[in-house]
Amino acid sequence: MTAYQVLAETLDAVAKERGKLAKIERLAEMLGRVEGEGLKVAARLASGSPFAEWEQAVTSVGWVTVAKAAASVTGWDLETIGACATAIGDLGEAVGLLLTEEPPMGAGGTARSPTVNAMSISEVDARLRELARERKAAGKQAAVEAMLARSSPVEAKYLIKTLSGGLRIGADVTTVEEAISQAFGADREAVARARRDCGDIGETAVAAREGNLGEIRFRLFHPIGFMLATPIEAADEVAQELPLFAVEDKYDGIRAHAHKSGTRVALFSRTLDDVTAQFPEVAASLAKLSGSFLLDGEVLAWKDGRPDSFFRLQRRLGRKAPETELLSEIPVAFVAYDCLARDGRPLFEEEWSVRRKELEAISRGGELLVSPVMRAETPAELDSLFDEARERGNEGLMLKSRDSTYQAGKRGRAWRKYKKALATLDVVVTAVQQGNGKRAGMLSDYTFAVRDGDRFVNIGKAYSGLTDEEIRKMGTHFRKITVARYGPVRAVLPEVVLEVSFDSIQKSTRHKSGFALRCPRIVRLRPDKRAEEADTLQTVVELYDRTAGR
Amino acid sequence: MDEPLAPFLEVRPEGLYCPAFEAAVDPPLPARRAILSHAHSDHAAPGHEEVWGTPETIAVYRRRNPDWAGEAQEMRYGERLERHGTTLELYPAGHVLGSAQVFFEREGRSLLYTGDFKRRTSRTSVPAAAPPAQILATETTFGLPVFRFPETKVLEDRLVAACRRAFEEEKTPVLLAYAFGKAQEIALALTDAGIPTVLHGAAWKLLPEFEAAGHAFPTSRAYETGPAQPGEALVVPPYCARTPVVRNVKRRRIVYLSGWAAREASRADFDADVLIPWSDHADFPGLLQHVADVAPRHVVTMHGYSRDFARILTTRGLDAEPLSSARERLSEDVAGAQEESET
Repeated sequence: MTAYQVLAETLDAVAKERGKLAKIERLAEMLGRVEGEGLKVAARLASGSPFAEWEQAVTSVGWVTVAKAAASVTGWDLETIGACATAIGDLGEAVGLLLTEEPPMGAGGTARSPTVNAMSISEVDARLRELARERKAAGKQAAVEAMLARSSPVEAKYLIKTLSGGLRIGADVTTVEEAISQAFGADREAVARARRDCGDIGETAVAAREGNLGEIRFRLFHPIGFMLATPIEAADEVAQELPLFAVEDKYDGIRAHAHKSGTRVALFSRTLDDVTAQFPEVAASLAKLSGSFLLDGEVLAWKDGRPDSFFRLQRRLGRKAPETELLSEIPVAFVAYDCLARDGRPLFEEEWSVRRKELEAISRGGELLVSPVMRAETPAELDSLFDEARERGNEGLMLKSRDSTYQAGKRGRAWRKYKKALATLDVVVTAVQQGNGKRAGMLSDYTFAVRDGDRFVNIGKAYSGLTDEEIRKMGTHFRKITVARYGPVRAVLPEVVLEVSFDSIQKSTRHKSGFALRCPRIVRLRPDKRAEEADTLQTVVELYDRTAGR
Repeated sequence: MDEPLAPFLEVRPEGLYCPAFEAAVDPPLPARRAILSHAHSDHAAPGHEEVWGTPETIAVYRRRNPDWAGEAQEMRYGERLERHGTTLELYPAGHVLGSAQVFFEREGRSLLYTGDFKRRTSRTSVPAAAPPAQILATETTFGLPVFRFPETKVLEDRLVAACRRAFEEEKTPVLLAYAFGKAQEIALALTDAGIPTVLHGAAWKLLPEFEAAGHAFPTSRAYETGPAQPGEALVVPPYCARTPVVRNVKRRRIVYLSGWAAREASRADFDADVLIPWSDHADFPGLLQHVADVAPRHVVTMHGYSRDFARILTTRGLDAEPLSSARERLSEDVAGAQEESET
């Protein structure tokens, strides 16, 4: 039984190492000495996720719940916990510091002796699973409290980071793959393939240790990662490579993998959630096809034999089981554009053109919508295809290299997406927040607003677009003009103007403006503009009226 | 309370003002007469007509403002001045060379203004005193319980270990530390460990003031005389982290020494390989200790986490409040608007 302490200390050491190789070495050393089934859990936890990717389990514990549990265990009030988390930039790190001296300075903390009562890695796994099953917030808080009460400072730090959905140690699941490969002398590609096929870094680690990675087979109904595309904003960017690409419309729907065997069908979303029940008509129509397969495609609102707007599709989202009325009001369809497995044979390693033939073969055997494939030899041809795609109600174009394999879970250059920004707006930053992952601790998330008379009304939030250097500089400035803090959010004086681009404008109750920008990107800072020169709500209304439904 | 520091100090838009001595305390803008707690630039603005402070503070102030032509009034620790029935005395603050807390007394009432202070010992500052006072105006830069800093000896050991590891890896230790105070402390600690240092000009030019106080730097030299050679550690201010001074050191191991190094996020901010939470400010337990020793009836907090620290004191039954400023009042207005706009 390996103690969770060992894992937590390793993760802390990984965070402190600056080089990728040193990080991998630390992880490999730890994975190599975890005993028994603990390895499975250790590999998952090290990759930042408590469960296997294919499992439909999430701990879903909110920040406040964790903060309340931390307050109870440390003896500090919730407000102080919040202030500490903001000061340090990470709740887990802050709680680890608060627990470092025992009992906490002058506060009435619970007495604990973690070494006597230490948790094993497997016990942490069991407790996280209980947490995922627990439905009530009070129950979740009690469960988190029980874990923290038995934690050493470094254990508390990483338990909270795990629950908050980000370890911030500069390592991700591919780093863990490297570490597995190094720890057990397994082939790097074989490790990646095994993880993709079984959807579990934990099972992969165990198989690598036992030397039977080759026995891991792709299994239907275990969700796998999606291959992602690199964006381009102008046809010229791909002028040289154009003849190599197959061109398809880029649909504005919900990306989904459809698994099918016999009459069983499962749809998994980009977040690997099972969304089958949300789209019963899709499941029913796929079930009628013959054979077993895994398709990649898009769920779209469908009207008169063509895609309908994403805004209509939105009304179908997030409902576990849609009512009959809604089903007839907003019908949906699944358009397939890739085939990743057919009749027990995985096709990930096959070229796109081979996979395409398999897809067409399935569609010949029954009713399946398949995206048409086009060609463009020149940027001008690509642009006219783009305009036609927009005419058909689609978002833009996808370009797929004909000889590329399916790289699950990766964003590569074998696929490109061609979208054009609808317009840009000059907006004013009203609040900033620290980012996650690589940008942990940097004030990289900006909430921004447009002018409405002499006040500012929020319209969106953007995460990137600036360089680290710019974000750092702006961070210093935002710290100076911070006027209030709400947990991790800093309200700032409305004076920094940004130019943002976006895909479309939709109505929204989320923001005071009544609108939200879809996929906003920061184009550039506008130090030349004052807040009074930012765009107005009136401009937004006009843009919306002109483009609604796009 | 409108006049939390009365009768000794008035809160004015331009800072704290002592009517009895007709002097501003650590004013951020040029003043006719300024009482300086110490010579860090955020407390000792250039251009005052008249400056009162310890001899060390005045010497460093002169060195940092070579064109300054004002008048200086030196006050040693323990020396008392009296005007209009109010006495003024400087007590050691333990922050940097010459740093002082300012103590006022009048008709049995008293106020202690801490300036910046720390309770841990250090090589170049006289340990902080804690004279009992009825009103305590304290700094709270690190006024949250996450901020606890190890003893100086522990920090020095970490520093030496970080330099040795750098040498083993054939790298130059690049030590990011404030130019006045910390840089010299580091140089002295490394001298004892047999590690020579190359000091950035901002720190180097202050060595005479430290030498006058009895400290010797036999193995330190100025950066002007050439880049760090193998076996030497380079000491530069944190703002140099992304400048050529640091970037030109091809094989380097960056060590960030500051209370803010308690945050792992500062690793990214300063591109640091090693974080050492070495501060010249009181940590949270130090702040509490100071409050306990001074035993005031009323505490006014300023700098850093002033609101949080005041609230924490209040929950323990102490009468405490942050020094409200124009800035904080403004913030309440905008914060209200913000709450309204976020749904």
